[in-house]
Amino acid sequence: MPDRDSAGWWELLARGEFAVQRCASCDTLRFPPRAFCPACHREGAHWAAIEPEGTVESWIVNHQAFTPGGAEPYLVVMVRLAAVPGCFVYGNWRGAREPRGGQAVRGVHTRAGDGVVLLDWRPAGP
Amino acid sequence: MAGVGYTAFTRDSGVSTLTLACRAIMAALDDAGLGPGDVDGLATHRVGDSVAPTVVGPALGVHDPTWHLDQFGGGSVSHAVVGQAALAVAAGLAETVVCYRAVNARSEFRMGGTGRGLPVSPEIQFQAPYGYVAPPQQYAMYARAHMLKYGTKAEHFGHIAVTQRASAAKNPRALMRTPITLDDYLAARWIAEPFRLLDCCLETDGACALVITTAERARTLRRPPVLISAAAWGGGASHLSGGAADPTTSAAAALAPRLYAQAGLGPSDIDVAELYDCFTYSVLVQLEDYGFCPKGEGGPYAVSAGRLPVNTHGGFLSEGYVHGINHIAEAVSQLRGDAADRQVPGAEVALSTAQPGYILPATSALILTKG
Repeated sequence: MPDRDSAGWWELLARGEFAVQRCASCDTLRFPPRAFCPACHREGAHWAAIEPEGTVESWIVNHQAFTPGGAEPYLVVMVRLAAVPGCFVYGNWRGAREPRGGQAVRGVHTRAGDGVVLLDWRPAGP
Repeated sequence: MAGVGYTAFTRDSGVSTLTLACRAIMAALDDAGLGPGDVDGLATHRVGDSVAPTVVGPALGVHDPTWHLDQFGGGSVSHAVVGQAALAVAAGLAETVVCYRAVNARSEFRMGGTGRGLPVSPEIQFQAPYGYVAPPQQYAMYARAHMLKYGTKAEHFGHIAVTQRASAAKNPRALMRTPITLDDYLAARWIAEPFRLLDCCLETDGACALVITTAERARTLRRPPVLISAAAWGGGASHLSGGAADPTTSAAAALAPRLYAQAGLGPSDIDVAELYDCFTYSVLVQLEDYGFCPKGEGGPYAVSAGRLPVNTHGGFLSEGYVHGINHIAEAVSQLRGDAADRQVPGAEVALSTAQPGYILPATSALILTKG
């Protein structure tokens, strides 16, 4: 699944980190990883570690397996990242109850069945 | 626009997409009073699931078209294909173009993500590992965001499904003609909450074709001409970083002013709208983004009495799913006044739209007028 733009991002995630790109010229944060900054149109970026924190923008409860090997029902949440304006990420839900709109959430590194490290989400706080 | 043609809409056509394309094209040419010898342009859109103009042309004896277009893409580019055909005719590159879409979308290539490769987008790698891959999931996600932000209710989506089924009951072409009630909608099984089965379009085998020529020539042909008064393209957003920060607004919001300005018309001039309805929510968000009601009020507007007639053929939800082209064909029928029991009295201006730019950042739309 990783491509030439994203391989470094996946490696960081596998080490338990969470990062987005910071433009080397104008400091704009961006995700997903790619060479050009959409704000200043220059190449070059550094990895910027950020807290995997955000708020629930939306979620769905899947009642059929849309990919092979899945067990339904399963919940996918759409998270608005706190550190990157206008950036959404998706993941599976690790809360005991269904999410609420606007709920503060925190990412949790999890190892999928095939060994790939993913980022799931749970309610923020202890 | 001088002619429209269809194959039957089924769940298993039993024939190739080449056969479907040829049948729909011959029907559209017959509708216009033309034959394959009159065709000098061919255009389609597809995602590796159908036949190219370079295959269809020779099969119908069109050996040297002066213009053709093989557009990659799904429902977001359906109306762009017709817009480009109109440009080709206006530029003199071709005189008579046939636009077609032919799919065995139920029996061979299902769009829903089961049994086929993942979409061509680098973003899918950040979604697929979580079991998030298919259009009903993506639209359900946006629909929930709209419900959270504006208080949109399941009943609003349900009303759209019920109303379109009632239209399909008057349409002999429609796959699903048995009327449904709001209770039927609410009792339908979940697909991806908040979407139930009846929020989702049909998967259909079938084809539809349109004949585009100069206005002068169209006036000499068999059927009353319909004019392409505006054709617009839009970008949209990917809903990842650098895109739109509001998932409750579609790319149609940016496209609509360009479209209306091109036609010199506004939302209040539209008599009938055939809106891309891969899901109930796509209709609701387009009612807002094409300016028929204020942002956030698409739900209450959809259930209001006297609202704009929408998807008079039943749409993808009930007529069949031919990736946008059957919406344009229905608009043509309404403006020619030959929509029989479905006819909107006195319809002179129609809006028809493509997938409104969620999922992949592209959309397109047409305003058609009575010639």
